[in-house]
Amino acid sequence: MQFFTLFAKRPFLLLLTVLALSFIFGISIANNATLETDLDEYMPKTHPAFMASDEAESLFGIKDAILIVVEHPEGIYNPGTIEKIDAITGALQEEFDAVESVTSLTTADNIKSDDGFLEVEPFYSGKTSEAAISQMQAEVEANPMIYGRNVSKDGTATLIIAELNSDMDAEILQNWAKQWEGPETLMVAGRPVVEGALAELGPKDMAIMFPLVIITMIILLFLLLRSLRDTVLNMVIVLFGTLVSFGLMTLLHIPIYAVDTMIPVMLIAIGVAYGIHMHNTIHHLMRSYPDLSKGELATLSLKQMVRPIIMTAITTAIGFVALMSSQVLPVRYFGLFAAIGVLSEMLLALLLFPASIYLLGKPKYKKAKADLEIQQGKGTLSDSLQALLLRRPKMIVFISLAVLIIGVWGTSMVWIDTSFLANFEEDSTIAQTDQFVNNKFGGTSTLNIILSGDEADLFKHPEVLQAMDSMQEDIEKDPIVGNTLSLATFIKQMNQVMLESEDGSYSIPDSQELVSQYLLLYEFSGDPETLEKVVDYEYTSANITIQLKSDSSAVLKDILAVVDSSRPVFADHAIEITYAGSGYKAFIFSELLLEGQIISLALSFAIIIILLALLFKNLRIGVVGTIPIAITAVVNFGVMGLLGIPLSSATALITSIAIGIGVDYAIHFLEHYTNERLGGSSLKQATRSTLKHTGRAIIFNAIAVMGGFAILMFSVFPPNRQVGALIVLNMATSALGTLTILVVLVHYLEKKHVFLPKRISDNNTRRLS
Amino acid sequence: MKTRTAKRISVLTLLMTFVLLTVSATTPSGSEVMWEVYNRDSGETMSANLIMTITNSRGSVRERTIAQYRMDKDGVESKLMFFLSPSDVRNTSFLSFSYEDGRSDDQYIYLPALRRVKRIASDSKNDSFMGSDFTYDDMGSRHPDLDTHTVLRKETVDGVSTLVVESIAKGDEDYPRTLSWVVDGEWFGLKKEFYLPNGTLGKTLTIDTYEEIDDIYVITDMTMRNVKENTSTRIQMEEVEFNLDFNDSFFSERQMKIGPRR
Repeated sequence: MQFFTLFAKRPFLLLLTVLALSFIFGISIANNATLETDLDEYMPKTHPAFMASDEAESLFGIKDAILIVVEHPEGIYNPGTIEKIDAITGALQEEFDAVESVTSLTTADNIKSDDGFLEVEPFYSGKTSEAAISQMQAEVEANPMIYGRNVSKDGTATLIIAELNSDMDAEILQNWAKQWEGPETLMVAGRPVVEGALAELGPKDMAIMFPLVIITMIILLFLLLRSLRDTVLNMVIVLFGTLVSFGLMTLLHIPIYAVDTMIPVMLIAIGVAYGIHMHNTIHHLMRSYPDLSKGELATLSLKQMVRPIIMTAITTAIGFVALMSSQVLPVRYFGLFAAIGVLSEMLLALLLFPASIYLLGKPKYKKAKADLEIQQGKGTLSDSLQALLLRRPKMIVFISLAVLIIGVWGTSMVWIDTSFLANFEEDSTIAQTDQFVNNKFGGTSTLNIILSGDEADLFKHPEVLQAMDSMQEDIEKDPIVGNTLSLATFIKQMNQVMLESEDGSYSIPDSQELVSQYLLLYEFSGDPETLEKVVDYEYTSANITIQLKSDSSAVLKDILAVVDSSRPVFADHAIEITYAGSGYKAFIFSELLLEGQIISLALSFAIIIILLALLFKNLRIGVVGTIPIAITAVVNFGVMGLLGIPLSSATALITSIAIGIGVDYAIHFLEHYTNERLGGSSLKQATRSTLKHTGRAIIFNAIAVMGGFAILMFSVFPPNRQVGALIVLNMATSALGTLTILVVLVHYLEKKHVFLPKRISDNNTRRLS
Repeated sequence: MKTRTAKRISVLTLLMTFVLLTVSATTPSGSEVMWEVYNRDSGETMSANLIMTITNSRGSVRERTIAQYRMDKDGVESKLMFFLSPSDVRNTSFLSFSYEDGRSDDQYIYLPALRRVKRIASDSKNDSFMGSDFTYDDMGSRHPDLDTHTVLRKETVDGVSTLVVESIAKGDEDYPRTLSWVVDGEWFGLKKEFYLPNGTLGKTLTIDTYEEIDDIYVITDMTMRNVKENTSTRIQMEEVEFNLDFNDSFFSERQMKIGPRR
């Protein structure tokens, strides 16, 4: 308190400090800011699942691949297209260092056997005569290792698969592919493309939307506050908070992660509240005591607002700090720097408003039409609200209960899902290409199942191979699975070829000798590197690759359940099952993220109850105060369930933060109300005055934030739209919940004399000094 | 495999001989050197046991033993190979006929567990030999007319005087340029380097031991290292015999099924 009044009395010093800090942080951001878009940087690398996956990836050479689709509507089996495929295959390898190996129709080998004549030959002989091409088509269609996997069954499209040894900018490849178009269409798909686009698009879209949010907010603030000066002060506060947050981040040389693009958004939503409440109190004081001097106005407004604003800032910061329990490093940084931003906004709000009074004199507020205190016939708007609340408490309770029940019902329908692809519009190129590949080929997503034992030659045992084969069959029953590939698949194919497709030959032979001899033959005639991708050198561990037509975590979970059901069979052979691949890591990552956010959500609830109870020295206030945010959470999840918005790491993040913000309304209400009551007001008077005073600020705050974030709902990037929609929803619920059910409950409990202690005579004891 | 006249040539003797030879003779042309290599006496018939040790990039090792029989007669090189170990592939056999007139090879494979002989079509001499780092080309002798040869310099390797011959392939090859260190006067290679199309070193062949058996120089221990893939294959030869009597039906499908008995 002392600190604020003293500092506010020296407005030039304050301005200078703010300018100096802004300058330092601004320079630091300009020089040091690096955007980290590599999703690998998010992964907790020491997590056991990640370490196991990394090890298997290196053992079996599991790499992310970019898929280039070459489509010719009249069929790819013509000289021009085949030659083009061959040229692209060569050019990819030569022109891009990040490309480790390229597989295509023109590099693949065919193994076939007729009349005791075994042939291992490339499908593409280099000849493009009509006869050669139709022979190639016949051979492709007879070989399930390529038909439907690398060449679409209708013969109109084929995949060129480029395995990467390092990250590659998918956009460069997309532009590169354009030169090969006509009459063929080229499309680029695969996980690196999706991840790359996502990491780029999110921040890019936020960079476009963010200024729009600010402009809308400025307009709304000006309309609501009817004061250019307070609007400017508000914007200075929120921008300063953002500057501090990112400035410190860059000063400490911490890269900006994609999740951090949420920080400015959050800080605006939060920071505006502090300014609005300061404005509101100053406005109210001037109305009640028009003759206050500059100093008295500054000191008095500070005296009233220091406690609630510090309290609300602390509860919000706690919501963020709770995120630091996450196992994911960028989320921890996000929590830390968002909390720092919030606290600096709080400091600046408490300093800037009183300082502006010293510097610019008392503000002159115009009469506002939107003003709740304007006379409207019989009474003020807040009066009619109060009348409604107090006359029909049962109705309010009833409506609240109904909303709660619907919310809980909706919550029961919430499904957990994270999918990179779900972040793109259905008609976007990425989603369309993905759809195309999923329709024509095995799928764009992969899961690797790693089987490991310790006995050498374990995976030459027919029973083991048969167990793998039957598990693959079970997995392939799921329509989302395009195909599976393992050592068992190779052995079956080999058996069929060697037995010249006699009945039942597409199966695992019963003799281990025969399996070994097939493998030997395969090594000699095929390329041994192909085998190295499915089994290790000693035949002690194997890799089953599953192609999926979706990258949704819910889908992946179903597959994992099928795999888990065959664990006992493999346990009989002392084989353990683990998983690998970037798709699986992303799955584990989002599970971790989600788990962390649900924990931090519960954590912030508990902390907020305790904090409210401590601040108001009353546990009941703590519990009652969290009711609006509890309703907010239930409504949030309920709406997500009813609208089919999946709970993902992004939506969970917004929810937990929105709750941290939402509780502020309850704090402002309770603070003002208890002060009124302790100051001797009657029940009705206290409610009326609180609604009049705080209600106005709460509604202004909610309108400004909702209006600003409603803009995000027009974003081209679906996740940003979800952020916008959820913030609008949560702000509305929190504000409405605070101004209705909280009022009714407090009033009712007061009547029963179970709310506030009978008498606390000196309300000064509760002041923060 | 009874008597074997293996005599380890002392390096010193070799050195002295070759020093004298190089001094006295004028340096032959590259193509002359490679023709000498091609025509070097390697015996009309031969049998040996090959121990092949393949090491992958992670350092894991696979060892295989193969009994090999060879006969050069009437412009046809016949080869019959039987796997002796590991036990689960024992008696798996390969039969091949290479024709001097340039016809493509005839190859057969017999899998004992399948009890079937299959003919294999293979045109490519660049295919890996038995899944190793050697190609069929590396194992046999490449026709000198396929490349243009130049003697770059003379060099002494482990005390042995050699001619360093650069061979540039006329056709499209995985390794379009090779350098061979050929022992002057004896016409077998001591070392070979294979260069990739982009000019970098792809693989190297080193000869660690050679012996003179029945007046024929035999390389009994060599290693091919693939620099790019970080893999290597070592082939050791044991029980080498020349001048054997194979009956006419030895290089046959029937023999493939019988196994390595004469």
